[in-house]
Amino acid sequence: MFSGSVARLPYPMSHPASLDRLPPGHATAITDVVGDDAVSLRLLEMGLTPGVEVRMIGRAPLGDPLEVEVRGYRLSLRHSEAARVAVATP
Amino acid sequence: MVLQSGRDSERPRLTAALLGNPNTGKSTLFTALAGIPTRIGNYPGVTVEEKVGRFTHRGVTIDLVDLPGTYSLTAHSPDEQVAIDVLHGRMADLPRPDCVIVVVDATNLARNLYLAGQALELGLPTVIALTLTDVAATKGITIDAGTLAARLGCPVVRVVAPTGIGIAALGDTIVAAAHAPPPSPPDLSGHVAAIDGSRPPAARAAIARYAWIDRSLEGIVQRSAPARRPLDERIDGWLTHRLWGTLVFVAVMLALFTSIFQLAAPLMDLISTGVDTVSAWTEARLPAGALRSLVVDGVLAGVGGVVVFVPQIALLFLFIAILEGCGYLARAAFLMDRLLVWAGLSGKSFIPLLSSFACAIPGIMAARTIENRRDRLLTILVAPLMSCSARLPVYLLLCGAFIPNVAVGVPWLRLPAVVLVGMYAVGVIVAAIVASILSRTVFRGPPQPFVMELPGWRCPRPAVVAERVREAVWSFLKNAGTLILAMSVVIWALGSYPKPVLPAAAALTDAEQQGEALRQSFLGRAGRLIEPVVRPLGWDWRLGCAAVASFPAREVVLGTLGVIYNLGDVDPGEEEGATALVRRLKAATWDGTDRKVFTVPVALSLMVFFALCAQCASTLVVIGKETGSWAWPVVTFTYMTALAWLGAFATYQLGTALGW
Repeated sequence: MFSGSVARLPYPMSHPASLDRLPPGHATAITDVVGDDAVSLRLLEMGLTPGVEVRMIGRAPLGDPLEVEVRGYRLSLRHSEAARVAVATP
Repeated sequence: MVLQSGRDSERPRLTAALLGNPNTGKSTLFTALAGIPTRIGNYPGVTVEEKVGRFTHRGVTIDLVDLPGTYSLTAHSPDEQVAIDVLHGRMADLPRPDCVIVVVDATNLARNLYLAGQALELGLPTVIALTLTDVAATKGITIDAGTLAARLGCPVVRVVAPTGIGIAALGDTIVAAAHAPPPSPPDLSGHVAAIDGSRPPAARAAIARYAWIDRSLEGIVQRSAPARRPLDERIDGWLTHRLWGTLVFVAVMLALFTSIFQLAAPLMDLISTGVDTVSAWTEARLPAGALRSLVVDGVLAGVGGVVVFVPQIALLFLFIAILEGCGYLARAAFLMDRLLVWAGLSGKSFIPLLSSFACAIPGIMAARTIENRRDRLLTILVAPLMSCSARLPVYLLLCGAFIPNVAVGVPWLRLPAVVLVGMYAVGVIVAAIVASILSRTVFRGPPQPFVMELPGWRCPRPAVVAERVREAVWSFLKNAGTLILAMSVVIWALGSYPKPVLPAAAALTDAEQQGEALRQSFLGRAGRLIEPVVRPLGWDWRLGCAAVASFPAREVVLGTLGVIYNLGDVDPGEEEGATALVRRLKAATWDGTDRKVFTVPVALSLMVFFALCAQCASTLVVIGKETGSWAWPVVTFTYMTALAWLGAFATYQLGTALGW
């Protein structure tokens, strides 16, 4: 859908940024968790609430899942889950 | 069952529930308070372990209910539902707790207080046990427990469970709290009002609870060191590195696998030798007959068959406990997740499935580390498809004897080796297909979050490791062992009765008599009865007999073949026995003809059958015990036998059609 050059940008300016696109080592604030099913609720319950700082540690060698730091602890979540977490562009 | 019995009614008694996130040291605290549990089982109808312990503190008898480790009380999973039901007094055999003890990890206060906040909303007397304060101290985190207690409105007790610090104080606090009015629930209304009203109520409540937690924690946590731990981060950096992370992972898994495969072997041999010695001793002292046969071939062989699994179980759980204790277990799941998502599983299934290549029994038990019920069941159902060490001798003998030793492409790659690897591949591929079909049909449901905590790196505590190993071994011996023993006696009876009618005129050798006895027994008759079923697989009735008789354990098939072919008790593990067996199998012909039974397609169909079948009574017993339902072993046996038959059928028919 996107041309290669756009897809490689961490934050396409026309789209709200999501956690799965945050580059390793970068930190930003969570703005929202999209969706109202059990997965989104679990993300909120694990402390990924609006306003909290989240930092990308890295991803597994096979590309998924991701490792992030939030509220002083490490959390692993899959791409599809991190895509529900909207973050502020740093 | 009411825990308050009439006889002890004068003595004060209360029930307390232990609630906490996973990885908070909850089980260690349980052991420190109550010691070895008085009751372990499953809650009715669910695969959730029920663990109750009893201890006396200053004259008060306290029944301690260990709730499953959960992150919240929102009923996402059966674990959480059980925790909610117990806390509301909705469990049939448990009274509503008089007090709830919330285990809170001092190194991860905010997230742990989420569950504590939910507990406070229940209106039960609540005590917070602040664990891992020693680990927090090494990280430079200090917590003002007094102010925290005042803000939460419930007592906060610091405990270091492995060393017993704070345990007595916790006991005092539990007794005092149980007799005091419950704390008032946290007031979330102000926080809820501040949240966008378009969100669903559960999401608003979750956000409000964190707002309340942030407010409650203001000024309470002091960090003398920077919050970010450079070393921790660097370790995680290496382990998520494409090359180094993968190398470390392969090395760790190789160590785990070889230890349960190789290290356990001498211990298992020792057990076998021990059982043999006792058997020989008994045999020498009992007169020949039914009783001796029952004791030696039924009971002693059964005991040996149970105890022989202990080294593998103990070693695997030793490894798991160490990996869990240092924080690598979650990382292993993290690294392998992508691979298993493919099959509809998650990274947590990796170690149970890997261990199943050594033996499905420790593998199925290792599935306890999978919190998600659906993933756990799926893993248990496909674990027996991994080619365990018991299949290896069958493969080796048949590959060596019947697969032509020709080169495949390159000179050093021989056909028997390719077939051997192929048998392992068959198991893995079929398991992946079965898991992905089941996860998209029978086990279909809303997407399961794989939001997993990656605990901080720490040194495993020997006491915790020892307890984990003890618990695994003990629960196997107590729950599964007794049943496996009973089953082996039943199978002995089926293989020994009815007593053979031997032709009076002909003088038969011992081996011939043994063969005749097996052929005339219930097991042997069953083998003959099913001949029409095994014919399409290319098997004669003797092979059918051997397959049926190997129900107790696959490796038995070789010994059974020896008996059926009048070789007596050959040991296929010994050079001599194996050669004799191979010679006999190669000479075997269909009854009344000189057509050979064993051809390449028959050997292949037999191997494929053993790769996929559920011929292991002990595995089925362990599945029953671990899932808490006898429906699952029946399902496993049925689907695996059907697959084994189909696989063997396809192999034989294809092989014959291609003229192998």
